Amino acid sequence: MESLFYIAAVTALASTVLVVTGKNASHALIYLIVSLLSVAVIFFLLGAPFAAALEIVVYAGAIVVLFLFVVMMLNLGKGSVARESAWLRPRMWILPCLLTIPLFLGLVYALSGESVQTAASMVGPKTVGTRLFGPYLLAVELAGILLLAALVGSYHLGRRYLSERREEV
Amino acid sequence: MSHAWVNSVMPHIVLTVGLMVLMLLVAFRRSHALAMTSTFLILVIAGALIPQSLAAGSEEVFGLIRVDGYGQFFSGLFLLAAIVTVLISFRYLDHRASSCEEFYMLILTATLGAMVMAVASHFATLILGLEILSISLYAMICYPQEGRLPLEAATKYLVLSGVASTTMLFGMALIYAASGSLSFSALGQPVDNQGENYYWLGQGMLIVGLAFKLSLVPFHMWTPDVYQGAPAPVTGFIATVSKGAVFAVLLRYAVISDVLSNASIALGISIIAVGSMVVGNLLALLEKNIKRILAFSSIAHAGYLLIALLVVAALDDPEIARETTMVYLAGYFLMTLAAFGVISALSISASDQDTEQLADYQGLFWSHPVLAAVLTAAVLSLAGIPLTMGFIAKFYLFAAGVQGALWVLLWALVIGSAIGIYYYLRIVFTMTQSESTDGSVRATAIPVETIVTVGVLGVAVILFGVYPTPLIELVRGLIGAFGA
Repeated sequence: MESLFYIAAVTALASTVLVVTGKNASHALIYLIVSLLSVAVIFFLLGAPFAAALEIVVYAGAIVVLFLFVVMMLNLGKGSVARESAWLRPRMWILPCLLTIPLFLGLVYALSGESVQTAASMVGPKTVGTRLFGPYLLAVELAGILLLAALVGSYHLGRRYLSERREEV
Repeated sequence: MSHAWVNSVMPHIVLTVGLMVLMLLVAFRRSHALAMTSTFLILVIAGALIPQSLAAGSEEVFGLIRVDGYGQFFSGLFLLAAIVTVLISFRYLDHRASSCEEFYMLILTATLGAMVMAVASHFATLILGLEILSISLYAMICYPQEGRLPLEAATKYLVLSGVASTTMLFGMALIYAASGSLSFSALGQPVDNQGENYYWLGQGMLIVGLAFKLSLVPFHMWTPDVYQGAPAPVTGFIATVSKGAVFAVLLRYAVISDVLSNASIALGISIIAVGSMVVGNLLALLEKNIKRILAFSSIAHAGYLLIALLVVAALDDPEIARETTMVYLAGYFLMTLAAFGVISALSISASDQDTEQLADYQGLFWSHPVLAAVLTAAVLSLAGIPLTMGFIAKFYLFAAGVQGALWVLLWALVIGSAIGIYYYLRIVFTMTQSESTDGSVRATAIPVETIVTVGVLGVAVILFGVYPTPLIELVRGLIGAFGA
């Protein structure tokens, strides 16, 4: 069990270093997905399968993929086709794949039928839900306001460039 | 179970509902005057509900926040600062942004975040309040649509404030790992020896993160650039609300968790305090930009205020520390808002940068006597000259420091104030010099509501300096009646 934790932790660290040092935004984001996947494994091992699932569905699945879309859309232009073919060279995808292999092996191991003994207590979705809408209700409301503030702010800042672009056209 | 807690958080609820109303209003009809008026009303209603929220008597709400006299006093101060900011930004923004309505939504969210921090008694509400405040501030700093400086300031603030928040979150995680609790009141000494190391490391990281937000030396590098780049009303808001909220929660945390009982943490905070007082004042000496001068002055003031924090450990009596902090921050709010109010008033029709060079202020006493008088009162008060609010505030700090026998810090306070008088008086002196040749400042017509706002602030600075009894009685009453 501990070995699984260490594999996930090392993968998370290595991929995060690659996110920070990466010069190409799309590549960095792909490493970020690997990093989030390995953090999800750690959550699972700590006895929080629901948090692990959310980490994959929300972060790796929705948010980073959205980032990727935006980055790729912004990059559209003359060189985009050349860049697209450059991305398909093995040099580009071999390292993320290598990094995910340990995670995949961990998955196989976990599914192989042997009961995986994780942390002492498991925190299921129901527990999370009753906590969030019970004692932590105020915090959930505040998180909503936080997102609203970010939304209003980014809307205003984004418009600054929209109007500039319109003037250019 | 009764719902007394709803009454306790009524000011927060009014602010949130008001935010929704404002958003719908903007969706249907974009009008700067309408948005400004409704924001003003929302803030006033929220402020008027504060006495009622205290009377509701439900202090702990879900263990997440603690509505007491101490916290609600700061909530009232933040609402006051927000009202002033709304009033002085109205004409200022007209010239700088094509749509100004979002600014008022951001002011409401930022104030809400600060008010949550003032009553936070749990790490979750602390970090949520802090992030609501910071995220609103990023957008407020670069609200004007032209100019590079606001963008630069916002980027710097975004990156450094993000680092500070991350440091704090890591610290909280370590504290949680060692003590198993996220609530301030349940934080006890951890049991095993290894956990204790984590625990104090976490406490240290938490304090470093908060020191970043308070712009204390050596975490002060961002302050002058951000203060200079942000629009003047927003700078006033950052200097008061952002700092006040962080300090309010820091003092509450220090009192409840007894973090200062650790000698090395107390020593670290003392070094930070002395550094801020001395370095902040020294760096201001050579500045020729009034916003940067006020930035360095705010670093020094945050350093002075740490004396009140250290009194908690020295005296083992949080009452004195609370009273000092409340009086000091009330004074600091009034004088800082007055100073930035004058700068905003003079910058209303400035084009790219604000009217911020010291040379622009030459002859202000003849061209705008009221503004010059208010700025003089504010600056003298920041320097701590008698008969101003700043003197009463500093006197309180000094008395608390003497009771706690914090002699080194008191010496730093005296030396820092002495250095400070030089650059504060230089601002006053510049205003009395004969007028400069270019008449950009003189030509500005100042709108009535701005004059009235800064005038009231200036009068308050002097009035509370001459007759502080009402404020002191209010503070004592709040501490005594509702506990803290």
